[in-house]
Amino acid sequence: MTFPQALFMGLLQGATELFPVSSLGHSVIIPTLLHWQFKQSDPTFVPFLVLLHLGTAGALLVLYREQWVEIIRGFFTAAVRGRITTQPERLAMLLLTGTIPAGILGVFFENRIKSLFASPYVAAGFLVVNGFLLLGFELLRRRAERRASLDSRSRAEQEQSFAAAERISFRAAAVIGACQALAFLPGISRSGVTIGGGLVAGLRHQEAARFSFLLATPVILAAGLVEVPQLFATGVPLGEYVAAALLSGIAAYASARFLLRHFRSGRLDPYGWYCIAAGAVSLLLLTLRM
Amino acid sequence: MRDRLAVVLVILAVAFVVIAGLYYEGVLQIAVSDPHAAHHTTHAILFAVLAVASLIAANFAREKTV
Repeated sequence: MTFPQALFMGLLQGATELFPVSSLGHSVIIPTLLHWQFKQSDPTFVPFLVLLHLGTAGALLVLYREQWVEIIRGFFTAAVRGRITTQPERLAMLLLTGTIPAGILGVFFENRIKSLFASPYVAAGFLVVNGFLLLGFELLRRRAERRASLDSRSRAEQEQSFAAAERISFRAAAVIGACQALAFLPGISRSGVTIGGGLVAGLRHQEAARFSFLLATPVILAAGLVEVPQLFATGVPLGEYVAAALLSGIAAYASARFLLRHFRSGRLDPYGWYCIAAGAVSLLLLTLRM
Repeated sequence: MRDRLAVVLVILAVAFVVIAGLYYEGVLQIAVSDPHAAHHTTHAILFAVLAVASLIAANFAREKTV
């Protein structure tokens, strides 16, 4: 992989990790469409991905630094006391509840699923599926809005009728956490399924995004940290990869800020339509071998 | 009833610690990507986390005096 390619992949990973459009799908499809020759089986590719993920996790930690301090403090207080009394304590336990199923499924199944489906055709197909999933989540949300007779209100008022992340049930947190396993399929977005799950559980769009980003942080961070020893293997161009990781972190930070602002009144539909179009065009280009 | 659940969760935590140790030592080879690896650190970390989570759940489940 050349240095410009590494920088491009860093930018792509950072920008698409938090948007509900599947970073894995894009990182499988786009290099193939560009006829890039680097192999994902190359021994230096895993360290590269590790650094990109650490860049993304770092960006999320910076974005939510104050909340993470409260969450960590709340976690220890609630764990020792055996009782939840504050919102940060509840959020900490919700995140633990959501992270456990994702961790179990990730450790036991991630590598097998990824290796089974690591083809640009499959990724393009799942990207289309991801688009329909996002549109489906919004369809369910619109029904909930109609049931609550919110049709005549402005979008901002509609959003305020739904809950904050701390109000979600523990069962819903576990289900949303388990849904992250769907993102092992290239083309299915982790943030897409978790934001969608949050919407179905009755959260506001912005709160569903916040819960999704908070839930993603320990998973991405842990997945990166366990692979850190591979960074020091011989032949890894660490300087170039660190530059790509920094770019990935900056892109992730910017995309998270954009999404949180967008979801004050925005919906998932544009991303759903994008995924359907991008998946269909990619399938066409791959079939025509352009 | 709640105390009984707490005891069950503590026993579960101990079982998770044992499984974590067995994975780390490479004795347990269930659902691992490389059966020849000396240590299965990721699996060990997962079960250690599950043990901690079980202990927290046990603390939540036990009868509170105050």
